[in-house]
Amino acid sequence: MEDLGIKIIGALLTVILAFTVGMTYGGIVRKLTARVQNRRGPVIWQNFLDLLKLQSKKTNIAHGFMGHMAPVWIIISAGTVLMFIPILNGNLWFPNLTFHGDLIFLLYMMVFGSLGMALGAGQTGNPNSAIGVTRGLSQMVGFEIPFVLALVALMVQYKTTSIQDIMDIQAQTGTWMMFANPFAFLAALFASLGMFRYSPFDIVGAPAELASGPVSEFGGKYLGTMMSGGSIFAFIKLTLYVDLFMGGAGFGTGILATIMGLGILLLKTFSLYMVPVFYGWISPRYRTEQAIRYFWGWPTALGVIAVIWAIF
Amino acid sequence: MVISPVHYIAVPLLAAFTIPLLSKYIHKELARIVPGIVLLYSVFVSIVLMMQVSEVGVISEKIAGWSAPWGINLMFTPFSGFLASLMSVVGFLIWLYSYNFKKIEQSQSQKYHILQMMMVTGAIGIVLTGDIFNLFVFMEITAITAYSLTSFYRERDGAEAGFKYLLIGSFASVMILLAVMILYTQLGTLNMAEIAQNAHLIPTPLRATILVLFLVGFGIEAEMFPLNGWAPDAYSQSPGPIGAAFAGIVVKAGVYALIRVIFTLFDIHGAYDFLIYGGLITMIIAETAAVAQTNLKRMLAYSSIGQMGFVLIAFGIGTKTAIIGALFLMFNHAVIKSLLFMSGSYLTYNSLNKKISALAGLGKKLPIVSLLFGLGAFAIVGLPPFSGFWSKLYVLTAAADQNMLLLIMAILAVSIIEIIYYFRVVSTLYYGKQEDEEIKVQKPSINAMVSMLILGATIIVVGVYPDIITHFLNNAADMLLDKASYIQAVLTQNIN
Amino acid sequence: MNSFFLILLILFAGAGLSFVLGKISSIISGTVAFLSIAAASALFFTQIEMGSFIEFSLGGIQLQWGLNSYGYLFGIIVLGLGTLASLYSISYMQNKERTSGFYFNFVLVIAGMTGIIFANDFISFFIFWEIMTWASYLIIIYSGKNVKKIGIKYMIFSAIGAYSMLTAIVMIKGQYDTFLISDAINAGAFNFIDNIYIPILLLIGFGVKAATMPLHVWAPGAYNNAPTSFTVIFSGAMSKMGVLGMGLVLGHMFTADRSGSLTNFFSGFSVIYLQQTIGWLGGITAVIATLYALIQDDAKKLLAYSSIAQLGYITVGLATGTKLGVMAALFLAVVHGIFKGALFMVVGAVERQAGTTDMTKISGLIRKMPFTFLTALISIIALAGIPPLGGFVGKWMLYEALITESNSYFLVIVIFFSSTAAFLYSYRFLFGLFLGQEEKETEQVKEAPITMIIPMLVLAILLVITGAFPGLIFSPIATAMEFIGFKDVTWNMSVLNNVWGNEMNLTYLGITIGVVFVSIFAFITLKGLKGTRYVGTKDISTSGEIPYENENLTFQINFFQPFVRAAAPMYKRSMNKIWNELGNGLEALFNFTRKIYTGNGQTYALFVVIFLVLMLLFKDTLFV
Repeated sequence: MEDLGIKIIGALLTVILAFTVGMTYGGIVRKLTARVQNRRGPVIWQNFLDLLKLQSKKTNIAHGFMGHMAPVWIIISAGTVLMFIPILNGNLWFPNLTFHGDLIFLLYMMVFGSLGMALGAGQTGNPNSAIGVTRGLSQMVGFEIPFVLALVALMVQYKTTSIQDIMDIQAQTGTWMMFANPFAFLAALFASLGMFRYSPFDIVGAPAELASGPVSEFGGKYLGTMMSGGSIFAFIKLTLYVDLFMGGAGFGTGILATIMGLGILLLKTFSLYMVPVFYGWISPRYRTEQAIRYFWGWPTALGVIAVIWAIF
Repeated sequence: MVISPVHYIAVPLLAAFTIPLLSKYIHKELARIVPGIVLLYSVFVSIVLMMQVSEVGVISEKIAGWSAPWGINLMFTPFSGFLASLMSVVGFLIWLYSYNFKKIEQSQSQKYHILQMMMVTGAIGIVLTGDIFNLFVFMEITAITAYSLTSFYRERDGAEAGFKYLLIGSFASVMILLAVMILYTQLGTLNMAEIAQNAHLIPTPLRATILVLFLVGFGIEAEMFPLNGWAPDAYSQSPGPIGAAFAGIVVKAGVYALIRVIFTLFDIHGAYDFLIYGGLITMIIAETAAVAQTNLKRMLAYSSIGQMGFVLIAFGIGTKTAIIGALFLMFNHAVIKSLLFMSGSYLTYNSLNKKISALAGLGKKLPIVSLLFGLGAFAIVGLPPFSGFWSKLYVLTAAADQNMLLLIMAILAVSIIEIIYYFRVVSTLYYGKQEDEEIKVQKPSINAMVSMLILGATIIVVGVYPDIITHFLNNAADMLLDKASYIQAVLTQNIN
Repeated sequence: MNSFFLILLILFAGAGLSFVLGKISSIISGTVAFLSIAAASALFFTQIEMGSFIEFSLGGIQLQWGLNSYGYLFGIIVLGLGTLASLYSISYMQNKERTSGFYFNFVLVIAGMTGIIFANDFISFFIFWEIMTWASYLIIIYSGKNVKKIGIKYMIFSAIGAYSMLTAIVMIKGQYDTFLISDAINAGAFNFIDNIYIPILLLIGFGVKAATMPLHVWAPGAYNNAPTSFTVIFSGAMSKMGVLGMGLVLGHMFTADRSGSLTNFFSGFSVIYLQQTIGWLGGITAVIATLYALIQDDAKKLLAYSSIAQLGYITVGLATGTKLGVMAALFLAVVHGIFKGALFMVVGAVERQAGTTDMTKISGLIRKMPFTFLTALISIIALAGIPPLGGFVGKWMLYEALITESNSYFLVIVIFFSSTAAFLYSYRFLFGLFLGQEEKETEQVKEAPITMIIPMLVLAILLVITGAFPGLIFSPIATAMEFIGFKDVTWNMSVLNNVWGNEMNLTYLGITIGVVFVSIFAFITLKGLKGTRYVGTKDISTSGEIPYENENLTFQINFFQPFVRAAAPMYKRSMNKIWNELGNGLEALFNFTRKIYTGNGQTYALFVVIFLVLMLLFKDTLFV
């Protein structure tokens, strides 16, 4: 019973951590981007302020049931996936259910949120929303190929489909996967560019235009909820990458070990996060078909090499 | 009165001479009714004899008391009896169907029915006779009635078709007669059993020559490629029910003669292979030619030729299962093709021209006829649970037993072609776009309907429960393969 | 009377009766069809003992009907779906023409499939197979549309399949002198080492019905052309007959004992080639069908292509020949029957209520047909393989089997590509019919009648249950797999395992989703939806402008244009074209043979003479 109590508290902690980190990273990126573009930029915690503002708004209109469900759906999906991602290896305070799920499960579970989003956007009737969704889905088909190739390479190389096992192997051998199978890491890294949807792959949300992309009809609480969900998802993706390719983080259950583990996790995730962000700063925007072609080019080739590498 | 095989021949011949008198002096209608009664009597004779023959084994009848090998004898074996019964039943149904077929003018109808009756009689004679010259005579009877029925409509096309048939048919007669002559000079007998017994005495080259003459002669009647040029025209130009009679009776007699010559008279190995290859080529060419046909009856004609090719293949395989399959095929072909010709002629009659495309939408106007045509089409391509399936299965099984994989593939490939053109017709019938012009539909008369329904019911019943006829087929196949007992049955009968 | 006879008799009598009564009223005819199928199902599930059989002889051939665990698995799909679909048909077919013919053939198809399941010998198998085929052909052309193009194509391909099967059957008879399936298996008829032709011919036969490349070209048209209430059966159950056969052959082939002499060493290799070939054929089928599904503008056609893609997954699963893979395939077969059945029912409901399935003409039906949408949503989630519904379980097992057991790493990518691209058409389907702008033309549309809603919801509920407790389906699958040669098949109610020892616990997933869902849903929904009002789909922000009343805001045409542009090279080649060219070539050949018959009597006479001369010349070599 005590165990369960700790688990529930831990789960809540995990959510809070993911949320905070995700929002903060978003804020940092906004700041940095502004500086790169020679602007002053908002404060780092601007995302929290935005969220506060959005959540305090009163919602007057609804776009039907699916429109109403979409943000909920995203949050559900984010929360569920989070439970299956190992945050700190071997830490009692951040328990997870990763023993009971595996990589393929995660891949599909992560789509769950996008589907809700897509349906919600669809019901609003705004053609721009639907166009955004189709672009997003198409792009997803693009980047999933190298990503899955990278995952298959890992699974084949170490004969396991569990994230936990892959983390353990890295801890035991002391070699991160990004060195054990560099091609897989590269392929996954390229895929991450599309996953985070920064420039040049930002045509889905089209942030520069006024009212485009899937979220264009959502405001107030809806947008706030979506933002929270999105932040958690950003954290999930980063942690997943770190777990898979960069050895994860975590030293034990003690207070100090936890803090150290978190510190390492943050360091690793942040440095990883900077890759798509940096790449985005220096790239113009791709059209969707260009983006898909991009992913089916070198990243896929790298993925294939990774699998062959893994077999032999 | 004791029923004997002679009744098959004697009663119709007697009737044929008396009908003109009866119709002239008593009642005109008798010319139409009497052939029917005669044919019905043949059916009755068939039933009685078939029941007897399954107990006795062979029923043989000396004509005019002369024993074989000097006299002519009629052999009602399970094999020949099966075919004779089939012919008499189909013959009767054709009479029933055409009893008041509208296209036949009253004045001509008496000739029509007599000719049709004589055609059946001739064919039955071919099947029953034990004498090779007698067989030739019956073949002539059949052929001559067939020529005249082909050009029955007295139109240009009909006459042309009849002439072609006559041309090729007389060729056949010459060949057969020549072969019979050479045989007689060599063995001094015309009795088939005796010929079979002594065939090995003939010098091999001469024997082969006789065989070739027979093969060409009977091959013409059996519609073997390339001897079957007459057939498509004859089928399509003759009156509808006569197409059925060709398919169900005349060709059957030709095939019987061919088989009798090969199986009983000359048991030469090469002849079986000849049947397989000849049949295969016939089947492939005829079925592929059928795909491109635009005229329904021509299409049915080519299909009929193809089926005959299939029958020849089955006989060529020569094992018992194959013979059962072949006989089953003959049965099916007689029943199904008759149904197709019967229903098809109502369909073409009600369309503007004989083109398949003109049948569009008749499915609604003639629902039952169209349904029966569809049933026939389904059955002839061998879809279960209709009778056509079983025959195909038996033949294929036999072929597989002999490891003839390519043959199986070829047969089935041809079956796919068959499906294409038959289903094309059926779908046109039901789903084709109707022409704007309204046609006044000629509904089939009750007797025609009954005749077609009997055939349709046979297809389904035999398809669902083939045991009804497999028993007969089994005996027939045994009889055909057991050459020795045939010879013995003929020749011992002479002693008493 | 024996239950086997009784069930088939009920079905055939039901077929005949609904044909006759169809002349009076379509509803009576439909009810009779429904009742006969329901009665047959009731008997099937209660009266027949597993393993019992009867023997009798027909036409000199020994026939045996029985029920084994493998057949039972498919019986669940056929009769379960058949009952629901026939109930659904009553309303769907209400105002259509020629319903008597429709119901006659509908029940015949069910009877044919039931017979296939009962058949313990090849002859009855083939007979029922053909009954199923031609009855379904008659339904496909029932509407009278595209008869020549689609109906004949269906029949030709079915015939190719059926006759390959028949060739194999008579070859088995020739070699092993038996028509009994079990005897043939014991004698090693499916053993690839001794017989190359028999298994391949059988696989061609079954592959046609399972719409495997390159024999799939009939399927999109046929699925689309049949009345929708039949497409439910067509795609949901009939295609599974192909799966049944393929599973039977492949299962026995792969589980056969191949330890033996040196020659068997090489044969072992050839089995692996065959396995890989079939697997890749399935994979390519899945990809191509998916690509074509996502460019369709017609919802029914979209589902038709989607069916082919799903059957591709099943083929891949069967081709792995491993426990997990075959289990995945059979699981997918059952679940595909459920969700594709439900989806076609959805399309049928939309077709009946809105008059068309063309997604460019209708949209925004969600508020008008909420139950239909709910079914569609659940089924699409299952189709896309998103957890926690049944579709995911199948996909998971398939991936794990390919990665962990059969080492087909690149095939996994192909499958993955196809199933990711499947999200595209899944979204298109939901969006096209239910979401988007609410059109004026569909203002009057109402929810479908209750007899259509009930079967749909039943299927939707089944999907949810199978997602949480896949063990309910694993249990018949496991016994079925033992029948086709797999030993010691293990399964859990809701835990999945692969051979590497990794597990996937659906209970935890369920609890997690449940807890998160309930808490957040309660928190947000209750708070949020109160006090809001629904605004129409025109009340949107189009870059700050207010759209005027008749502005066209519908987005339905060229839906996935960017994707199609990116994937353009994959659309270039089409199997259909190749077949069509083959057909044209053959037709030209047939035209040539037709010309042999010139219609000239002299030519014919010449033929005879030439033939005679040739025969006389070669008589001595021919007839010795």
